[in-house]
Amino acid sequence: MRDTLTPQARVQTGVPRTTRRRPPGGPIALLMLAPFLIAYLLFFVFPIGRAVQLSLTQSSLTATGPFVGLANYVQLVGDSDFWASVLHTGTFALYTVIPVTLLGLLMALAVNRLVRARNFAQALFFLPFVLPVSVVTLLWQWILNSSFGLVHALTGTEVAWFGEPGTAMPTVAFVTVWWTVGFNMLLFLAGLQNVSKEVYEAAELDGAVGWKSFRFITWPLLWPVTTLVLTLQLISSLKIFSQVYILTGGGPFNSTRVVLEYMYDTAFQNLDAGYASAIAVAFFLIILLVSLVQAALLRGRS
Amino acid sequence: MTRLTRLLTLGALMSGAALAQQPTKITFWNFLGGGDGARMKTLIDGYNDSQKKYQVQQTVLAWGVPFYTKVRTSTSVGQAPDLISFHLSRISGWAPENLLRPITTQELASAGLKQADFFPKLWQAANYQGKTYAVPLDTHPMILYYNKDIAGKAGLLDASGKLKPINSVADFTAAMKAVKDKTGAYGLAIENGPNSYMGWRMWVSMVAQQGGQIVKDNKVVAGEAGKKALTDMVNWFKAGYIQKNPDYPTSVAQFTTGKAAFMINGVWEVPTMVDGTKTKKLPFAYGVAPLPKFYGNQQNVWGDSHGFAIPNNAKNPIPADHVAGALDFIAYVQKNGVTWGQGGHIPAYLPVANSAQYNALKPNADYAKASASNVTYDPPGWYSGAAGPLEAIAAKYLPAAFAGQLSVDKALSMFENEANKLMAGRPKP
Repeated sequence: MRDTLTPQARVQTGVPRTTRRRPPGGPIALLMLAPFLIAYLLFFVFPIGRAVQLSLTQSSLTATGPFVGLANYVQLVGDSDFWASVLHTGTFALYTVIPVTLLGLLMALAVNRLVRARNFAQALFFLPFVLPVSVVTLLWQWILNSSFGLVHALTGTEVAWFGEPGTAMPTVAFVTVWWTVGFNMLLFLAGLQNVSKEVYEAAELDGAVGWKSFRFITWPLLWPVTTLVLTLQLISSLKIFSQVYILTGGGPFNSTRVVLEYMYDTAFQNLDAGYASAIAVAFFLIILLVSLVQAALLRGRS
Repeated sequence: MTRLTRLLTLGALMSGAALAQQPTKITFWNFLGGGDGARMKTLIDGYNDSQKKYQVQQTVLAWGVPFYTKVRTSTSVGQAPDLISFHLSRISGWAPENLLRPITTQELASAGLKQADFFPKLWQAANYQGKTYAVPLDTHPMILYYNKDIAGKAGLLDASGKLKPINSVADFTAAMKAVKDKTGAYGLAIENGPNSYMGWRMWVSMVAQQGGQIVKDNKVVAGEAGKKALTDMVNWFKAGYIQKNPDYPTSVAQFTTGKAAFMINGVWEVPTMVDGTKTKKLPFAYGVAPLPKFYGNQQNVWGDSHGFAIPNNAKNPIPADHVAGALDFIAYVQKNGVTWGQGGHIPAYLPVANSAQYNALKPNADYAKASASNVTYDPPGWYSGAAGPLEAIAAKYLPAAFAGQLSVDKALSMFENEANKLMAGRPKP
């Protein structure tokens, strides 16, 4: 609106000439942003505020109870079940973040070399990612069933993959990697296709082929994609819930109970919404912190 | 007749017809899947066809925590349905929270129902502090299924082809040993993977058979009886009579494909056997018996009951005509309880439970009377009952003991710790 007042208005108010170059702002931008802003406030900021508020009360699932200050957080600090669940979440991230990134890269490199079958291979590797979590988990429950499953039929093993404390978490991680690796492959493929052919040709003239070409050309040029993949993957691994909920329910005896599973059990099974909110808020802060640290570390590398 | 009057007459006729055809809609949420779901649908369709005043519309939701969470939250915001299915084992948790609308004797009477028509034990389970919060529909205890071919080879049948009596842990152990030695099959198929409930139900039965108690004053008190029951079960796994870790569908498949001589499961698997025999998919003759006496003379068996309840929708109270419709439907289901009984459940409604038609049902007659009179519910309390947190905690540790991942003492102490923590820390809004 201010622009319509110029030039007289500018002269009259003595606004420096440089402000003329500012994009038309204020009310119009606000008007256009409004729908998103409202949705953001309503469905993101408000629930977070409510969660923080609830975490300071002693509440059941459906009724807000009395204010208890930081009691829930004090309890949380001394709650070994909570710290165990943080540890399990970390273990899951450890089992998935690097493998899914590395495998995605390897698959992208392999697919990129194909000429005729490239689209086919790409589709094949990407396919699992399209499936909803319920289908993925059901599929692997059948494949790994210790009495009637495919693996049992082929090898005769009676290992209950989701039922032993030693194998449950690695198996959940394996299923997750199988399910999500295709997406990372696509990101890497896009990155690979952005590297111009001339760079490789120039490097080849200087004698950089095979490993050397990868080490000095591909890898550095893919680094921005790699940091993106690592960051996305770390956040999504920390938010692990549905696979654990369906495949192990946090068992056997809590050995795969991740933070969000603990939060779910507390809120929806034990009906303790106040404490569950405290878990949620604390975990929100943990994820925020870890993401910031990771971003700082990765930025240093580039 | 002018055009106008003709139009008006037509309009009046149509709206009159529309009014006459507009039945009151009774919304009904339930968690009844599989065969139970099919039978409930038959009953609903039958009811809707039998009269014009009401129309019951059902929504089937996932069993367990998701169902109860949804009912709880929708009740608190005033969006609950008129009628829900409900486990009577949860009355003691839900009634004090005012989540269910009490049903008065007069309301019941106007639908033609009265207390004397129900098994006293079930009526008691549907009541809390003198008020009726649900109408019982059935009892569904665990029973013992057996494969007559395997049992015959192992010498466990009498001359008439029925299972010889099993009256102690030793008897049952010997029977499973005979099966293993003579046929190589598993003795027993029972769900026992992580987070499975059948171990808890078995434990509840076996503790009760010793005259023991599991919870008292919000504390676990199972003690020696609990330890003895769990040790006896774990020994069966150690001896290899039961496969470790199968989940629910696997355990049923083990039995129905003839890989195990016995199965301990709820009566709700009866239709699987009946239908399997009818379609010749079951490769053997089967029999059923009440859960054996493992200790002394008591024949307690874990069981639960389905019932109907009306959510206490405080922000949007249910209108009187919907209450009348819901109760009218409940009365219809009770009177046609034989259909429900075909699902293996024992009807709560005495006129049906005692009727010749129900008692002619096979194999229900082989277990119904004994099981119904010995049924033991989960311990009462807000934390207890079907899909309640106490059961969920037990489902973490008992299966771990069966699988040999935890010793009996360790599993029980971990169960006690988590259960006591839960029961002590009740949120009080």
